[in-house]
Amino acid sequence: MNLVRAELERLSARRFVQLMVLLLVLAFAVTAATTLAGSHKPNADEMNSARAQAAEARQGMEVAFQQCLSRQNGTLPQSEMGQYFPEECSSIDPIRQDRLPIPADYLPGVFSFAGQALPLLYFLIAFLVLFGFLVGASYIGADLNSGGVVNLLLWRPRRLTVLAAKLGTLLGTVLVLALLASVAYLATFWVIGQTAGLPGQLDGDFWRSLGAVHGRGLVLVLLASALGFAIATLGRHTSAALGAAAAYAVLWELGGRLVLEIVDARRPDQLMLSSHVATWLSGRTRFYDPQVCAGSTGTGYCESFYSLNWPTALLVLLVLTGGLTAAAFAVFRRRDLI
Amino acid sequence: MSAVIEIEGLRKTFRSLRSGRRVAVDGFDLLVEAGQVHGFLGPNGSGKTTTLRALLGLVRADSGRMTVLGEPSPELLPRVAGQVGAIVESPQFFGNFTGYRTLRLLARAGGVPVSRVDEVLDLVGLHDRGDERVKGYSLGMKQRLAVASALLKDPRLLILDEPANGLDPAGIREMRDLMRSLSANGVTVLVSSHILGEIQLICDHVTIISRGRRVATGRVDEVLAGHDRHEFLVRVAEPERAVELLHAAELTAVVDGGALVVSGVSDPTVVSRVLGEQDLWVGELTPLRPDLESVFLELTGAYEHSSVPRQVGDSSLPQGEAVIDLDRGVDA
Repeated sequence: MNLVRAELERLSARRFVQLMVLLLVLAFAVTAATTLAGSHKPNADEMNSARAQAAEARQGMEVAFQQCLSRQNGTLPQSEMGQYFPEECSSIDPIRQDRLPIPADYLPGVFSFAGQALPLLYFLIAFLVLFGFLVGASYIGADLNSGGVVNLLLWRPRRLTVLAAKLGTLLGTVLVLALLASVAYLATFWVIGQTAGLPGQLDGDFWRSLGAVHGRGLVLVLLASALGFAIATLGRHTSAALGAAAAYAVLWELGGRLVLEIVDARRPDQLMLSSHVATWLSGRTRFYDPQVCAGSTGTGYCESFYSLNWPTALLVLLVLTGGLTAAAFAVFRRRDLI
Repeated sequence: MSAVIEIEGLRKTFRSLRSGRRVAVDGFDLLVEAGQVHGFLGPNGSGKTTTLRALLGLVRADSGRMTVLGEPSPELLPRVAGQVGAIVESPQFFGNFTGYRTLRLLARAGGVPVSRVDEVLDLVGLHDRGDERVKGYSLGMKQRLAVASALLKDPRLLILDEPANGLDPAGIREMRDLMRSLSANGVTVLVSSHILGEIQLICDHVTIISRGRRVATGRVDEVLAGHDRHEFLVRVAEPERAVELLHAAELTAVVDGGALVVSGVSDPTVVSRVLGEQDLWVGELTPLRPDLESVFLELTGAYEHSSVPRQVGDSSLPQGEAVIDLDRGVDA
């Protein structure tokens, strides 16, 4: 416990951590201020107009769907034959859409919490992932490089305990910070929605969906922190983690993707870490691949899409992070500290 | 006396792709007994710091046996870590922390009462500068802070690697007084230093390492006595004539500057008698005792008259693998 307290003090005193927290607060303040400045509470006329436009849009979708069915049945009047309709009418069936037009869509300059909460949360998670990775890498990297770890080991000559205390302190601190930041962030925008915009439809489904993304985002932040920590431990330096991340992005996500496309590899996206990150956050991701339908006979309908689901994505992320963390502990246990 | 540090046959080789294989410590032995202030000497790159790092579990030895306060190291070092204060080379501290905060942090990590921080700051002369940030400290102040960190645990064994680095003359004297005072209070001190005069003043025992091997160990006065060539500086009116007279008496003498150096003399009265009988009266007859520096340079070959600059690691190996151990005799 003493060791964790000492590590907590060291972590919180790091200039880099303080700078990143300042950047977080700054980004938060700028986003909130610009949202507040660009939003207003809609008056009754604006609301009525928006409701009418939304109703009209929903009705238009229903009409288009019915016309599509009529064309399929051969009952569409000749005068309406010039319109475009998809092959499969089910794709424009209003019931099957993710969302239908709502009044908030027709209120320019009005912030809708229900409509904007998810993108705002994604932005925060992206920042926190970057924060966790960089802080995790610099926390151990700088300590290894400057001799801070050696100093500590002279006091507590238990390598695994010291490294575990550092990792535990890092993850605990990042989790608490991410939790507080995200709650404060969402609460601020909720207040903006209530006072200077629209709260939107905040029903159980909305909160459940937002909570799920929030929870998955926090897990991702922790994984990124552990990953930065592990790579910097293996490479003995903060820059090892930064270099590894940059090299991975350039060589594999860009170069590898290009090569896979050239050789017509099947489902290349499932080999990319970014696909699994996106899948883990959203729960399910669809990727386009013309190869998916390459073997179909043409008699049946074939969509050139395939999906990745969150359990697979989580497994990939856990194996990668867990493997590198275990390797970091194994190497650190035997390494000469000079 | 009980052994506080025992090292037997320590061997450590570093391997790297760029520079290949380098033997840093090659079968090194060290014995430090309770209550000693033990000097640990060796040229740059001779393996001193590697030995201390291996002893403290920071590098993994290839082979050999080490114990600290009776516990095998590094396996059971944690059992006695609370009684061992150590600094290895110049430790780096967090620049943004004050000296006080740095020590408080270490005290917390090591389970030492925070009240001890003020005591050690006072001991190393940083009491009035403890609330300043470490990045503003001079090299000497950082070194004092390092020593303070080693003293924080109120250790039974203190291991100091180059504690006088960056200290001014007054600081070196304070460090000497501090070590004497710790020793008087029963603390065993192992200190490595390049300031050989300091070691001679502070230490009662010494071990000299060269190219990873022990070349001498024992009480400082005995190590020095072992290298005493029984030389005397003699000043007379006619040095050239005096040399001839001494040679005739089967003594070895050379003119050095305006004086003579007579060697191999067990009884100095012989010199004054031989010269006096020929009406040459001795103005000065001073024994030339070896100091630690000359013994160190002789044993390690760290100083040779040569036009080629000496390189790190060019020191000597013990001749014929013999080790001068004045406590135990000569090991083959």
